[in-house]
Amino acid sequence: MLKYIVKRIFIFIPTLIAISLITFVIGINAPGDPVETILSKQQGEGQSVKGLADESAYISMRHKLGLDLPLFYFSITNSTSPDTLYRIAKTDVRDNLAHLAFIYGSWPNVAQYYSAIKQFENHLNIIKPDSSNAENLNKAKAAVSVLYTNYEQDKIATLLKKLDTVISIRTNSLELVSVNFNAVKEAEKNIIDNKSSFSKYIPVIHWYGFRNQYHHWLVNFMRGDFGISYQDMRPVGPIIWDAMKWTMGISFISILLAYFIAIPIGVKAAVNKGSRGEKITTSGLFMLYSLPNFWIATMLIIFFCGGDWFSWFPAPGAAPIPTDAPFMYHVTQGLYRLILPLICWTYTSLAFISRQMRGGMLNVIGQDYIRTAQAKGLSENVVIWKHAFRNSLLPVITLFANVFPLLLSGSVVIEEIFSIPGMGQVSYNALIANDYPVVFADTMFAALLTLFGTLVADILYAMVDPRISFTKATA
Amino acid sequence: MKLKSLLYIFNPAKRADDALQKVEGAAPSQSYWMMVRKQLGKNKLAVYCLRVIYLLIALALFADLLANEKPLACSYNNHTYFPIFRAYAVNMGIAEWPTELQNVEWKKLNYNWSVFPPIPYLPGNIDEANVHSVSPFATQQVKSTRWRHWLGTDELGHDIFAAMIYGTRIALLVGVVSMSIATLIGLMLGALAGYFGDDRLKVSRIGLIFNALFFVLAVFYAFGVRSYILSDALAGSSLLFFVQVLFSLLIFLAVMAAGNLLALPFNRLPFFGKKISIPIDIIVSRIIEVMISIPTLFLIIAIVAIAKPSLMLVMLVIGATTWTGIARFVRAELLRIRNLEYIEAAHALGYSEMRTIFRHALPNAMSPVLIAVAFGIASAILTEATLSFLGIGVPADTLTWGALLSEARSKPTAWWLAIFPGIAIFITVTVYNLLGEGLTDAMDPRLRK
Repeated sequence: MLKYIVKRIFIFIPTLIAISLITFVIGINAPGDPVETILSKQQGEGQSVKGLADESAYISMRHKLGLDLPLFYFSITNSTSPDTLYRIAKTDVRDNLAHLAFIYGSWPNVAQYYSAIKQFENHLNIIKPDSSNAENLNKAKAAVSVLYTNYEQDKIATLLKKLDTVISIRTNSLELVSVNFNAVKEAEKNIIDNKSSFSKYIPVIHWYGFRNQYHHWLVNFMRGDFGISYQDMRPVGPIIWDAMKWTMGISFISILLAYFIAIPIGVKAAVNKGSRGEKITTSGLFMLYSLPNFWIATMLIIFFCGGDWFSWFPAPGAAPIPTDAPFMYHVTQGLYRLILPLICWTYTSLAFISRQMRGGMLNVIGQDYIRTAQAKGLSENVVIWKHAFRNSLLPVITLFANVFPLLLSGSVVIEEIFSIPGMGQVSYNALIANDYPVVFADTMFAALLTLFGTLVADILYAMVDPRISFTKATA
Repeated sequence: MKLKSLLYIFNPAKRADDALQKVEGAAPSQSYWMMVRKQLGKNKLAVYCLRVIYLLIALALFADLLANEKPLACSYNNHTYFPIFRAYAVNMGIAEWPTELQNVEWKKLNYNWSVFPPIPYLPGNIDEANVHSVSPFATQQVKSTRWRHWLGTDELGHDIFAAMIYGTRIALLVGVVSMSIATLIGLMLGALAGYFGDDRLKVSRIGLIFNALFFVLAVFYAFGVRSYILSDALAGSSLLFFVQVLFSLLIFLAVMAAGNLLALPFNRLPFFGKKISIPIDIIVSRIIEVMISIPTLFLIIAIVAIAKPSLMLVMLVIGATTWTGIARFVRAELLRIRNLEYIEAAHALGYSEMRTIFRHALPNAMSPVLIAVAFGIASAILTEATLSFLGIGVPADTLTWGALLSEARSKPTAWWLAIFPGIAIFITVTVYNLLGEGLTDAMDPRLRK
């Protein structure tokens, strides 16, 4: 048994690595720049990062988050994309340069163009603005910052033309930078003149070694360091832990409730097969199974939480329970507020489990040994509960493994509607905000829990059914 | 009677058959699918569900005629027009609008006579007189009962009934397209895993090397080189994206085929030509395990949240994440079938593996697939509704059932925004689930009488 469990846990490892890779691939494709998000949050909403002082802040934050490393152990790209591309700090500039190189097929030329713009910008920044040139200087700076993120030839051409007119005005000091500007123009001309359209079709492998984002994340994850959230710079561990307490607690109560209600219903439905009551119960359960839980949640809120009808329950997201309240008040109030979410959480799995229970029970009742038991003259109750029930419990127990991921998925919507700060809401908010450290950790934990659930179900299966043995060839 | 006896002349064997039947009173040897159909026909509930599904399909197909701002037929300036049908023709580029009907407000025209559809609104129409969610029972600012919003309006003044009808179209489209994708993936992987198992897929060493190498190349040429084209297409129309994806897949297949062709001459070599078996069953089972270990909704939200809202993408992602059920069924079924004697016979006859799988093995594994598809459509529709409810994935201007429902969240007093779309989702999901249930029963040999 122990050997089997250890073996199973070893099989988990490749699965978990695959899951981490999937989340990682999704994460690196997310739009937006986390560094910029954090910095603009620190400086106050709505401000974007500009200027030299901010650039160094950007670079140090990028380093702190570990985003200045290559993404993976290796990369397979086309030959226009250099292996040092990740060193360019700003995401949008980096993407734009890669695009330019892709179109014109020569990275050295693009790099020259980039450094020419950079030089030009630096010189622009040195010029002291005064009344004669302030307007033109700002125009020029704005045009340069747009130049960083443009790859279309005609757009670059218009920008350059615009800069040309601004700089060639003799009355201001801008002509000092005309040398640098000419360098930019030449670099641009060089890119276009030396276009090669074939180099993008040549694949190249770059090897980066272990100093990469994925490796760092994986190693830290195994050490128990899940990184920091991009949303509020809190460490991810406590965030997940707080959320997990909610979701696990509610899921646990809900699974218990579901099993306690579903099993008797399923058994009764199977025993009284064909009766009118059974038909109503079965079809009722079926409908329950098809009811979308977000609809039920919305309806419950509309009809029972204030609104125009009954206000039996507080509206979701109501004021928290005061912390100095007596303990029992906490418990009763907490449970009271959880009634509606629990209903939504439970009914789907309840319908699912009882339908399975009924099916399993029907299978068993058809068996010969039940007829034997009845023929022996055993009472109906003994036959049902002692002979039939115990054997049909088997498949229902393993359902635990199926119900659990269902609950986790369901938690997204229900927690969102009832504003419960559980795993579902946390991951949903993190996904919407592209807060990938949280998403990574969340998905990994959800997957771990699911795998663990499958393992527990298998072990339970073995404990209930003596015929199953894991010591022989099973996997 | 005469005709029948005439037929016997041409087919004497049939006479014997019929005679035998009369004696035994049994049905003629019928095909499996006929039997399933007959069995399903006995299930009253399933028959009703099928009818509801037909009704939903009709609603989706004829949505333009049921709810539209244009009249079905009208006479304007003494000319008779059929504007809705004309709109089809204009969209196809066959016809053009007459100048007097270009960019008109259809409801404000002075018709000689006009026949409007039952619901004279489009889901996108905004009725300025009835904004801020007017209840179906409240007094509405409409000209007459003909223009009433029978199911009320939402915050912006959209007609709920029209939105519901067009929502049917989206729901069914999502169900069918995403399940087609899921079936395609599920059938392929399930068949590979089930038919070949861990021992029967034999590839030469050089073939393995070439396949791995060309797989990387194929991904590079099909998706890497075309990544900018693909992302541009994704921002554009769904159809364009679909065509581009298809083109990428073609490139992928072409590169893989080239790799396998190149490997052929090396198969004669002593070391490289040695065949080794690939444990394809283990590989596919691991992939399935990975897929079911990630909560599906997390994965879908993650993928949908990073891209621009697009219905096509939602369908693709739902399809690409829900194939595991079908794959498991097909795998289990083919694991059983591959040991049957007729497959051995097919091998003995020298049929190719492809032919054996597609012509002989897979058709017999189709029944569980059909069941899984019925249930899968239900869950795909539910998933899309959930996504729209959360406000991700589907473009904001597309009024789906889920999007209508989410409006009810911000306005709890507007019960009609919650009840009608909810019932629509519920009915659609239920009929597909019941159909799946009916199919399960119909295909269960134990229940056959």
